[in-house]
Parts: sequence; C-alpha cells; structure tokens
Amino acid sequence: MESATSKAITLMIIALPTMFAVIGVFIGATKALHAAFPAPVENDDDEEYEDD
Amino acid sequence: MEALIHQYPWLDELLMGFIGLTWKHVVMWAVGALLIYLAAKHDYEPALLLPIGFGAVLANIPHSSAVSTHPGEEGFLIVLYNAGIANELFPVLIFIAIGAMCDFAPLIRRPSVMLFAAAAQFGIFATAIGATLVGFSFEHAASIGIIGAADGPTTIYVASRFAQELLGPLSVAAYCYMSLVPVIQPPVINAITTSSERKIKMGFEGEEPVSQTTKFLFPIMIVIIAGIVAPISVALIGSLMFGNILKESGVVDNLSNCAQNELANLVTLVLGITIGGTMTAERFLTFDVLLIMCLGAVAFVFDTVGGVLFAKLLNTFSPTKINPMIGACGISAFPMSGRVIAKMALKEDPTNFIIQHAIGVNVAGQVASVVAGGLVLALIPALAK
Repeated sequence: MESATSKAITLMIIALPTMFAVIGVFIGATKALHAAFPAPVENDDDEEYEDD
Repeated sequence: MEALIHQYPWLDELLMGFIGLTWKHVVMWAVGALLIYLAAKHDYEPALLLPIGFGAVLANIPHSSAVSTHPGEEGFLIVLYNAGIANELFPVLIFIAIGAMCDFAPLIRRPSVMLFAAAAQFGIFATAIGATLVGFSFEHAASIGIIGAADGPTTIYVASRFAQELLGPLSVAAYCYMSLVPVIQPPVINAITTSSERKIKMGFEGEEPVSQTTKFLFPIMIVIIAGIVAPISVALIGSLMFGNILKESGVVDNLSNCAQNELANLVTLVLGITIGGTMTAERFLTFDVLLIMCLGAVAFVFDTVGGVLFAKLLNTFSPTKINPMIGACGISAFPMSGRVIAKMALKEDPTNFIIQHAIGVNVAGQVASVVAGGLVLALIPALAK
C-alpha cells in the first residue's frame, strides 16, 4: 500500500506541474494564433461614404 | 428437487432462471431500477443512466443470454463490450461528437482561463492518493482518480485499460456525480469563499472577437502540442479536436451534424447499455464499489476546491479581480458547471452576469481533463513498473 501511495504521490508531483506547463504552452500558442489571425473589423458603410 | 431434475432433465432448462436466482441478483435489479428512476424521474444524465440501469438488469438475470460468454453464443452485451469498450472505440467516438458540439471561442478570447481548468484537475490526483490509502492498487487508484476529470469518456477510456473489472462502478460514479454537480459544488464554494468574493464582477476588457481562421486552426494546434507531450493522449484529444474541426471548417456541415446528433445518440445508447452489462452482482456488490462511490464524491469536491483556491491565489497577485467561483467551472462537466456558477453569482447579486466567463472556463475544462487523462495514461505504466 505504501508503494502504491508513493506512486500516486509521484503521479501528482509529475503530472500536475506538467499539466500546468502544457496549459502554459496552450495559452501562449492560443494568444499567438489569435493575434496572427484577428477577426476582420466590420466596415461602417455610412462612415466610409461620408469620408468619400 | 435434484432427483426431480434428474428424472426430468428438461426441467433444468425450464427452471434455470429460478434455480440460479440469488438475493444479489435482486439487489442489482434494485440498483438498475434506481438508476432508471433517477434518469426518468429526476433527469440525472438520462441518456446514460437509463441505458446503464437497464443493462444492469439484463446482466443480473441468472443465465442471461445478453451476457453469455459461451464460445459461439456470446451475448450481445459481450459482443458490444468487445467491439467498443475493450478496444476503447466508443469513448473515442463520443469525443468526436463532443468536439463537434464544442465552441472554443470563449477559451480563445481569454486563454488564461485554461489555468483554472488545470487547477480543477487537482481532484484526480488527490483522490488517487486517497484510493491507495484505503487499499487500492496504484493502477486502480489512478483509474478511480480519473472520476475527478468529470468526463465520462475519459473515465471509461482509462478504466478500460487499467481497471477493466471496475469499469461499471467507475462509469456509474462518474456520470452520477456529473449529474450531481448542482448539488455538490454550491456548498463547497460557499464554504471556501466569502460573500464579497462571490459578488466580484468581471468585465471583458481586451477580449477581441475570434476569427474563423483562428477557430479552424485551434484544434490542429492543440492536437500537435498535446500529442508531442503525451502521444498516448492523441486518441482522446485527437478525436475531440477532429469533431471540432468538422464543425469549424464549415465545409462538412453534414458530417458535423451527424457527429452532433446521430453519432452522439447511437454511441451513447450502446455505450450506456454495454457499461450496464458489466455491472454483474459479483463485480458490483463489493465493499470496493462502495469505496469508489465515496471516492468519486471526494474527487469532485477536491476539483472544486482546487479551481476556486487557484482563482483566489491569482486574485492576491492580479490587480484585476476574478470572481473565484469561476475556478470551479474548470471541471469538465459541461455546460452544467458553468450554468451552476453563473446562477450562484446571480443569486448573490442579480446584476452580476458571469455566464460567459464561466462557460469559457468550463470549455477549457474539456481540454484540461483530456490532457490530464493523457498524462495519467502515460504515467501509469511508467510508474507501475
């Protein structure tokens, strides 16, 4: 049982920080992706017409 | 009776159901009936608990042909088990359906919410440790901990690899507690937050709308990153993201609709009844199953605590305050957890609408639970050596 518990503790010690690291990479990559492909700005036709 | 059967051998065929009946079978009928009742009367995950309950009844009729293992006469539940659970096919198909239903836009707008989802996986590991302390082997304990992923397919996937004999109770615990999120989470959150914390309002500063290209590329990006870190998770995260790209591509609406409707319904139907078929009395009526049901509740409590405390921790460093309740949405029970937290916020302050933030964290929980499942899948064989 002690061995199983120590393995479970090791699982947590390895997996939790790894998960935060992976999620950190996800966050960085998602931000980069979002910045690289911004949503098109909606044109205000009336304003453009006035400018013309 | 034996003399009578000896004299009239055909009586054995006629009466085998009565002769084989034990109190354990009757108790399992009651368990099946309870699951059907909860599904039909209280709407607790009815799409799964109803088939599971009925499957449990079918599996606990003495000499049931539905679960016969005689070579050449395998029961249909055994055939379905071998065709879809032993080889992990059904959970993967369910993930395609879930992916096709997911909208990751709230997560892409505010990717930092994924941190809450990561913190809310704490219950997996805390429960795994707890399970070893009550006597479970490491592989079984880790599979029990996965109930804390609050994600039925991930639980089934991991259990079918490392705890096949516990598949039935683990699945039932996962789906029961997912349906009990409105009962489990509010008291835990109230216990660890103050009223003023629950009233914190959240804005949308700096959140830009998401382009279709970003939504389309997001699933590919996630699969590649998660796949490199834990190749064993590719089946889970890959199927989830495959379903999502079907939807976001916009060019295969028929496939996306099929995944969201026909595929989801069909696989849910066979998955539920097949899991029910594994709930035989000799497997289910044990002290271990009672422990698993208790540990499942512990997993959900620790998930909630992990998410909320992490949000509170961030609040101590961040100038922009976060409503710590949204940390609890990091569990994967989507969209129930998000709705429950949004309702709690409205109850504290009728002008506090945090539904969008809550759903964003809840969607992130879908991704984080699969990542956690993948890491556990990768680490169990390595640590069990």
